[in-house]
Amino acid sequence: MANNSEDLHKKLSDAVVKMEEDEAVALSSEVVSNGFDAYEAIDHGLASGMERAGVLFEEEEYFIPELLMCSDAMYAGLDVLRPHLPSVDSEERFKMVIGVVEGDTHDIGKNLVKIMLESAGFDIFDLGRDISPEVFVEKAVEYGADIICLSTLMTTTMKGMAKVVELLKERGIRDRHKVMVGGGPISKSFSDKIGADGYAPNAAEAVRLAKTLCEKVPVGEKYGA
Amino acid sequence: MSSDAISPKERLTRVLEKKSVDRQPVICPGGMMNAAIVDVMKTGGNILPDAHHDEVLMSGLSEDVSRCTGFENFGIPFCMTVEAEALGSEIDHGSLACEPKVAAEAFPDAASVEFRDIGKMLQSDRVETVIQACARISGKHPDIPLIGNLSGPISTAASIVDPMNFLKSLRKNKADAHKLMEYVTDFLIAYANLMADNGASVISIGDPTATGEILGPKMFEEYALTYINRLAESINRFGVPVIVHICGNMNSVRHLIPSIRSQAISTDAMVNLRSLKEEYPSLVTMGNLSTYLLEFGNPATVSAQTESLVRNGIDIISPACGLSTSSSLENIRALTDTVKESRASGSTR
Repeated sequence: MANNSEDLHKKLSDAVVKMEEDEAVALSSEVVSNGFDAYEAIDHGLASGMERAGVLFEEEEYFIPELLMCSDAMYAGLDVLRPHLPSVDSEERFKMVIGVVEGDTHDIGKNLVKIMLESAGFDIFDLGRDISPEVFVEKAVEYGADIICLSTLMTTTMKGMAKVVELLKERGIRDRHKVMVGGGPISKSFSDKIGADGYAPNAAEAVRLAKTLCEKVPVGEKYGA
Repeated sequence: MSSDAISPKERLTRVLEKKSVDRQPVICPGGMMNAAIVDVMKTGGNILPDAHHDEVLMSGLSEDVSRCTGFENFGIPFCMTVEAEALGSEIDHGSLACEPKVAAEAFPDAASVEFRDIGKMLQSDRVETVIQACARISGKHPDIPLIGNLSGPISTAASIVDPMNFLKSLRKNKADAHKLMEYVTDFLIAYANLMADNGASVISIGDPTATGEILGPKMFEEYALTYINRLAESINRFGVPVIVHICGNMNSVRHLIPSIRSQAISTDAMVNLRSLKEEYPSLVTMGNLSTYLLEFGNPATVSAQTESLVRNGIDIISPACGLSTSSSLENIRALTDTVKESRASGSTR
C-alpha cells in the first residue's frame, strides 16, 4: 500500500499506461481515503499516464486498441476523483468544439483526439459525427470555442471543412476561432489550401497543435464575460 | 479504338494468375473505391442514392462508369454498407454526391451481438439488389471483368458493433471478438459466393479499419490477417481471384503483407509500390494513383504520375483509394488513356 501521495501518483500513472482499469479505480479510491489532493492525483497521476500512453502511441508501441484501454483506465479513475475536486474551478480553460464533418460517421480518430485533448486539460464540446458546417459554426459561437476541430476519414466529405472556414469568414468571425483539421485523407497542403490554421496527423500531434494555436488566440477577442 | 489481342477480362485474369500480358489493366474496383462520380451520373438517368436499391439502376450506373471513365471493369456496389445493413445496422443511404454510411451500429459491443441466420440475411433487399445487378452485368458483358466488392471482416465487424468498443474488445475480450469475426467472415464468404455464382469474376476486399495505424502489427496479425485470409481462401475455392486493398501507410504491418493470401495487393497513395515490389517480388501490386490528384490535379500531372506507375511495372493500375465524387472526368480519362496508350513501351511482366 502506498503511503504517500507521490507514490500513488506514480502508481496511478502506471495503471493508465498498463491499461489496468480496476487498478486505477482502487488507487483513486486510495487517494480519496487518504485525503490526498484529487486535482494533483489527476494531473500527476491519470493525465501523466495518458501522456505517456500518447508517447508510446507516437512511437508505435501502442496502437488504437491500447490507447482506448488506457483512456478507459483514466476515465474510470477520473470518475472516482472528480467529485472530490474543489468546486471553485475558476481556472480559465481553453474551449474547443470537435466533430466529424457531415457525410462521415467514422469517429475513431475524432474520439482519440478528444481523449488526448481532454487529458491535456482542454474543455471539449463533442458535437459527434455527421455534423454540418453550419452546426460547427453555430456551436463554436454558442460555446465561445477558441478552436474548432474538424475530422473526417472520407475524401468525399473534405469539402465540408473548407465550408466551415468560409462560413466563419462570411460571418466576420474568422479571427475568433482557430480551425484545426485532421483525418485519413487530410494533409498539410489541404489544410493550407482551405485556409485552416493547422493540421495534425495524429492525436498526440493534435494536442501539440492545439497548444500552439491557443498561444495565438487574441486576448480580448473571446466571447462572454 | 483498339485492336487488343486479349479482352479486358482475360488481361486482368492473366495478371492475377501472374501470366504475361500486352499491357497493364487499368481498373477501379468499386465498393469503397468506386468511380460513380457526379459527372458520370450527369450523363445518364442512373443516379445515386436510388441506384443503391435498384438492380437496373445499379447495373446501368456501373455501365455508365465504365463507358465514361475508360476503366476496364464493372464494379458494384457503390458503397460499403450492404453488409452492415444485412447484419442489422441502421444505414443512412446518402445522396447523389455523398456515399451511404452507418447511422447506428446494431450492437453496443462484441459481447451483445445476436447471431442471426446467414441464409436469411442473404435475402436482404440490398444483397438481392447487388446479386441481381451482378447477373445483369455479367450476362451482357462476358469480356469485361465484373468485380464484386466486399467490406472486409474488420470493417464489417466495426460497422455492426460500436467501433470504439469493438477495437477495445480485440484486446479485452478476445473470445467474443473472435466469435464476432467468425460470424462476420462466414457471412462475407456466403455473400461472395452468391456474387461469384451470378457472374462476378473477381472479388475485391476493402478493409479500411484494418490498417497498421489503427490496429498495430499484433492485432493486425491476430485478427485482420486471420480473417482476411480465411475469406480470400474460401473465395479462391469457388475459383474466383481476390484483390485486397490495405489503407494507410502500412509501415507497421509491411512485413505481414506477403502473408495475405490474395492474388493482388492494392495500396494507398503514400505507399511506394515500386519499393514494395522490390522487397517482395512475388506480390502482384495494384494502385495507386493519388485520389487527391484526381480531384485537384490536372490531366497533365495525372498522366505523368500514371506513366511513372506504368514504367515502374505496377501490375494493375488503379486509383489509390476512394474517389471524391467531385473528381473530374477529364482527370480520370487522363489516367485510363495513359495506361491504354502504354503498350508500345512494352510492359509485360
